[in-house]
Amino acid sequence: MKDNTNDNKAASCLPGGLMPAEQWALPQTSVRRSLKDAIRHALKQLQAGVSQAEEPFESMDELPELSAAQQRRLAPEPDYARQAEAIACSLKQARSDGSLNREVVCLVAPPFSGMQQALTRFSEPEQSDSIETSSETWRVIAPPDTLCFDDQEASEWWDRQDLSRPWVIPELADFWLRSLSGLGLIRELFRRVANGDSGVGIVGCSSWCWRYWGHYLENAQMSPWTPAPMDADRLGAWFTYLASGNGKSTVVARMTGDGLYVLPMAEADAAENSKSRKKRKYSTFLRDLAATSRGNPGVALAIWQRSLRARPDDDAKLEETDDRTDKQSRAADCWVVPLGRLSLPSMPQSKESVTGFVLHGLLLHNGLDMASLEAVTGVSTYELSLVLSRLKRAELVTCDPLDQRWQVTPIGYPTVRRHLQSWGFPLDQF
Amino acid sequence: MFEDLGVKDAFASITGQALLKAMLVVVIASLITVAVQKVLPRVAEKLGGKPRLYLLASVPLLRLLIIFATIVIVVPILVEPSFENMVAIFGALALALGFAFKDYANSLIAGIVTLYEMPYRPGDWIEVDGQYGAVRAIGTRAAEIVTPDDTVVIIPHNKLWNSLIANGNDGTDNLMCVADFHLEANHDVSRVRDLLRDVAFTSPRTKTWQPVLVIVFNKPWGMHYRLKAYPFDPKEQFQFISELTARGSAELARQGVKFVSVPVSVG
Repeated sequence: MKDNTNDNKAASCLPGGLMPAEQWALPQTSVRRSLKDAIRHALKQLQAGVSQAEEPFESMDELPELSAAQQRRLAPEPDYARQAEAIACSLKQARSDGSLNREVVCLVAPPFSGMQQALTRFSEPEQSDSIETSSETWRVIAPPDTLCFDDQEASEWWDRQDLSRPWVIPELADFWLRSLSGLGLIRELFRRVANGDSGVGIVGCSSWCWRYWGHYLENAQMSPWTPAPMDADRLGAWFTYLASGNGKSTVVARMTGDGLYVLPMAEADAAENSKSRKKRKYSTFLRDLAATSRGNPGVALAIWQRSLRARPDDDAKLEETDDRTDKQSRAADCWVVPLGRLSLPSMPQSKESVTGFVLHGLLLHNGLDMASLEAVTGVSTYELSLVLSRLKRAELVTCDPLDQRWQVTPIGYPTVRRHLQSWGFPLDQF
Repeated sequence: MFEDLGVKDAFASITGQALLKAMLVVVIASLITVAVQKVLPRVAEKLGGKPRLYLLASVPLLRLLIIFATIVIVVPILVEPSFENMVAIFGALALALGFAFKDYANSLIAGIVTLYEMPYRPGDWIEVDGQYGAVRAIGTRAAEIVTPDDTVVIIPHNKLWNSLIANGNDGTDNLMCVADFHLEANHDVSRVRDLLRDVAFTSPRTKTWQPVLVIVFNKPWGMHYRLKAYPFDPKEQFQFISELTARGSAELARQGVKFVSVPVSVG
């Protein structure tokens, strides 16, 4: 009974569970949507030199956004402790059915997937009963303060780590710098893992960092696992789970323009109210969102939070829809702005190469402070501060006030990835 | 002679109005060609990566289409497109070109060949007769390349027949760059190869999914290393090679590996 409950929770926290990375596939979208996105991207690149007023963020939609309290209720941040349980369940299942038999498992996920936050919670006492090795607690290996090591020093550092009991690295990208002296730690770790003298462990890794090291260590076969991509159904289930809190209530979300339903999902709705199902029309918003976010839950959640509104902009349009009775019987908790009308961040005009170095460096290292960014990109601090301030105004990067680390924002990630692809930079797999 | 070919008969029916119409078509076609040649490269400059290359490569193809369409429209305006007339006109044209503009015609025909064989396209980095640069435009008679020193070199298409044309990226955005290191012997070759590979992998300009190779030759004066890698953009090739050379040299010096230098003789 308890196992079933845990499995249900796992399915809701981590829809689709974990899968071998080579089985990952991009969520499908309509040809119309793909063409629209491609044309919009090309036009934005062409307008970069013409339009000067693109930098300060300006919302193009007129509806009021949700208050902080409403957002916390309708689209809260995920509970990473639950996600950690879900990951543990998935790994346990993969081990029991024989699809996973390595002692050290690599979990690769695109940025903002929540993998790092979840793996960090593996060492918390309440997690220990649900993790594979129920008798032992997991030890989180934190990166050293400085990342510059030669081969000898790197080996000595790993010797000092206790790998005899289960260990977890929440984010491998925190263990290196793309400089000549910054590669030692990961090189040594992979050497030990390949030799089989590193015990039982879990390595969480950002997809960008993983791709880099896949090229660097071309003969390493680590067979990584990854969370399943969020397609429309999984996104719907996940958003419902996040909003429901205790899992009993359901959230109703409808499109502002035409009143089409986004949530609840068609299947869930059918079970609840089979009579009204025939009359109800559903939006393709979640499918488009899944494609825009490339199945990335963190990015999808950021866009979802941005798209939610407290009331529709045009009640008259809603009156025209053919499900008036349904509208009367069930008021919407929130309204959703169509993706095409959302003001998502766009790339400011600047030198491609420097902007590319900065954004690519931030993604490779899961965020960096200014000094490390200078070491990695070779761009001077002065120029870096100019570029970063422009990118910050464009809402593409943000600086953590606590540790002064710069990071790409989840809402800006699709724009950043697309531009890096246009400029010819190496991309991740996802 | 032209009478024997029947040219006079073929052109006998040309009226002033037809001539005017044909000229109008030619002028419009020329304007469209100029617009295509000016606007598309500018638009391409704003785009990066492959879209830029595709757009640049489409310029000569569009021009060929415009030229073909113009001929198809103009010829029926001027003369009745019967078999005799066509033979007469093209025969006369061949004679005129053969005697008076042999070299020019040679380049024009080579220009048409380049459009479908595509030994070079706009955006390619090519070397012809010792001149290296990026193809800026492909004209009817000649191609224009811009050298790294920002000098425009006009290369007639007829070089195609008898010159070696080296194309660095061949219509793609993959251009291999090579940084050379000439080192004294008696060092750990394996260690230096690993170090130079790391130099390429830690450059922010490197396309890491393309091969990074370190080749070493044993020479009478020492060891010659060639570090080969691809920059993310062919335009970055010189900064890329400079960066690899500078960082590689600094690290080699730090490791105590010395460079060889040729003594300079004065006078």
